[in-house]
Amino acid sequence: MSVISVKNLSKSFKVKQKEKGFIGSVKSIIQPNYKVIKAVNDISFQVDEGEVVAFIGPNGAGKSTTIKMLTGILYPDSGHIDVLGIDPTKARKKLAYEIGTVFGQKEQLWMHLTAYDNFKFFSAIYDIPEKEAEKRIEELSKLFDLEKFINTPVRNLSLGQRVRCEFVASLIHKPKVLFLDEPTIGLDPVVKENVRKLIKKMNKEYHTTIFLTSHDISDIEKLCKRVIIINDGTIVMDDSMSNLKYHYMDKKIIEVKLKSKINFNNVKGIKVLKEKENNSRLEINTNETNLTTILKFINPENIIDINISNIPLEEIISAIYRKE
Amino acid sequence: MKKYLHIYKSELMSNLQYMLNIVFRLVNFLLLIFIFMNLWDYIYDNPNELINGYSKNQMIWYVIITEIIWGATDGRRYCRKISEDVKGGNIAYMMNKPYSYIGYSIASHLGETTIKTLISVIVGFAMGLFFLKDFPVLTLPAIVIVIISSILAVLINSLLVTFIGLISFIIEDSNPIFWLYSKMILVLGVLFPIEYFPGIFAQIMKYSPIYVTCYGPAKLFVDFSYSTTVEILLSQIIYLCIAWLMCHALYMKGVRKLNVTGG
Amino acid sequence: MLQAVKNQFNVTVKTIKYGLMREMINKTSFIMNVSFMILNNASFIIQWIVIYSLKDNVGGYSFNQVLLLWAIAASTYGFSHFIFKKSYSLSDIITNGKLDSFLVQPKNVLISAITSDIEVSALGDILYGYIVLAISGLTLTRFLLFTLFSITGAIVITDIAVLLGSLSFWFGKSDMIADTGNSLMTNFATYPDGIFKGLARILLLTIIPLGLTTYFPVWIITTFNLKLTLIVIISTIIITLFTFIIFYKGLRRYSSTNLMISKI
Repeated sequence: MSVISVKNLSKSFKVKQKEKGFIGSVKSIIQPNYKVIKAVNDISFQVDEGEVVAFIGPNGAGKSTTIKMLTGILYPDSGHIDVLGIDPTKARKKLAYEIGTVFGQKEQLWMHLTAYDNFKFFSAIYDIPEKEAEKRIEELSKLFDLEKFINTPVRNLSLGQRVRCEFVASLIHKPKVLFLDEPTIGLDPVVKENVRKLIKKMNKEYHTTIFLTSHDISDIEKLCKRVIIINDGTIVMDDSMSNLKYHYMDKKIIEVKLKSKINFNNVKGIKVLKEKENNSRLEINTNETNLTTILKFINPENIIDINISNIPLEEIISAIYRKE
Repeated sequence: MKKYLHIYKSELMSNLQYMLNIVFRLVNFLLLIFIFMNLWDYIYDNPNELINGYSKNQMIWYVIITEIIWGATDGRRYCRKISEDVKGGNIAYMMNKPYSYIGYSIASHLGETTIKTLISVIVGFAMGLFFLKDFPVLTLPAIVIVIISSILAVLINSLLVTFIGLISFIIEDSNPIFWLYSKMILVLGVLFPIEYFPGIFAQIMKYSPIYVTCYGPAKLFVDFSYSTTVEILLSQIIYLCIAWLMCHALYMKGVRKLNVTGG
Repeated sequence: MLQAVKNQFNVTVKTIKYGLMREMINKTSFIMNVSFMILNNASFIIQWIVIYSLKDNVGGYSFNQVLLLWAIAASTYGFSHFIFKKSYSLSDIITNGKLDSFLVQPKNVLISAITSDIEVSALGDILYGYIVLAISGLTLTRFLLFTLFSITGAIVITDIAVLLGSLSFWFGKSDMIADTGNSLMTNFATYPDGIFKGLARILLLTIIPLGLTTYFPVWIITTFNLKLTLIVIISTIIITLFTFIIFYKGLRRYSSTNLMISKI
């Protein structure tokens, strides 16, 4: 069953252009110069219940704009949005009860209150009756291991604990869909890992549909089964994670340290990425050659050290951004 | 000196685009003068009457000048800025720059307010001339002296506000102290000349910042004489030195405290 | 509908409660803020002592009435800044995209936004108002009327702050206009209406609704007038409705054009 369905969605902005210097400043007051930017240009996609979808793209690709339209903050210029059977432009409030949002580093918790009081506050925002709220908080704190510090003021918590509370706060009203805009931005690796576990758990325990944007490729690699890539306002790819990797499986990277130097240039299927004395970094196209041939060509006797790997996802994705 | 000028200049430029906003703030100033015209109009039964030695027109000019000077400092915003620098730890970054923090803050802040001040000078004078059809008799040297005295007043006021802002080193929020300071200046200095207050009060006020930041330049403007000039300029210079020393001492003390606690 | 109002009220009360709890963590700062505000307001008494030493009657107001004028202006300002603090930075909230977080909550966007923080020093204004009321003569009727008009007045000046802040929906960064408008209200509110003549006086009583917020209340508390009381209450309701309409018109614009995002 599809939870989010987007058809032919478009949105453009007028951006004020300012010329340089003093004259430019004066000019921009008298006669502002606007440039129209198509932030989102005719995109369509669907998300099914329980899916974890990564929505990625370079800066300014239209990620945030899309999330804002899905949550009812922005209205589209044209196209149709349906989230849980609700049109965000028509029933924003009704939708708000059903969805949760976490916008990057924007902290929504009151620092001086305990996590528990904070949760009570959010329960009030979502009109959850006192008793029910207490039960819900107990359940969540057990599930996400908050019990030890639930009665400590948030400002005294470690960043990791704080982030955990932040997420739990957005789950208080049992949202069916969770929108996460850059959930791990600015966090250290340990906390990042923590957040990823948390997101996985939310999805597993409550079958919450998760729609997340991120710059961090490892977020996506570890969390999502499906990736939608947006660039310049259009969707350039919408595929499963395994497919995405598979497409680029025909390339391998070999890093090798040799006893005596070999000339790899002009060998079929090999592209030299980097060469320094007896160390080489090579890209192998397995459609044109195969690894056995290559290894024979190098001669195992000659190898001091070797490392064969797939092309990192990060590079795959930036290749897609560059439309290669 | 050149670096402060540069700081000043760059703030000035970046604020030009707020020209329109400046106009709106001016409206505020205009209305304040308007209120006072109405008030003094109501209180003076006839324009030639003298109250405490001032005619109605002199009283209105007095308020115009003190308002311009007070507005030129824009102390409320400035004090908040300083105390945020102190509390937010920004000051720690400024410490190892090759300029004094106090000089930097004052230069950059006055750079922000100058255009507004110039416009309020023009509007204030236009309003005075239009409604009062009267201008105090001033010779060219007198005008120069009034300008010098006004600039000194703004500098002293800025230094005193810096001092109050720096009190944030000691107590968490120094804004309440600024309110009191500003109310003292506004109620006792901006609205009425010292002569309006009974003997002992007037005597005390002569030694207070009111004398050097408000009364001085305004008095010289509405009722110029060389004997008061000497007295006022001398007090201003003494005050300027004391205020700078106070700021510097508090800043040094605060920085030491910052070093100990590690900011 | 009624349940929704109750829920909204519940959230607002919680916000105020939690805000107060936060401010009280630092007791010295809290007490300083409140008490210095009282002193700050009190300093203007000096101004009026000086003025009344020149004349017994200023603009038709006795000294006692000027005190009342100050009292009502202070608590009106106090209630508005204490509960609706954020209406005074609405322009900033709009232009910096901070409305977003209120838009994803199932609550009234305007009310949630303007009640999202409190101003502690405004408690000093409220207290000052009641202290001065006590000085100028306290009876139960005066107390009740004073409270009523402090609240209607607070709603009206909040409405004006919201209207001025809403300009940002159409004109972008316009916080200075809002600041100017708001301080204009406060500046005039503390002078007797009688010193103004002609057009200025008419404007003050009508377009700049100081009549509603301070002048009428002073007249009514001095000598009760039912008709004027009703005018104050009904006008407050009308202005408030108008404010909501304008804000929501602006909000539609916010959602449909998103002029605010200059850096995507």
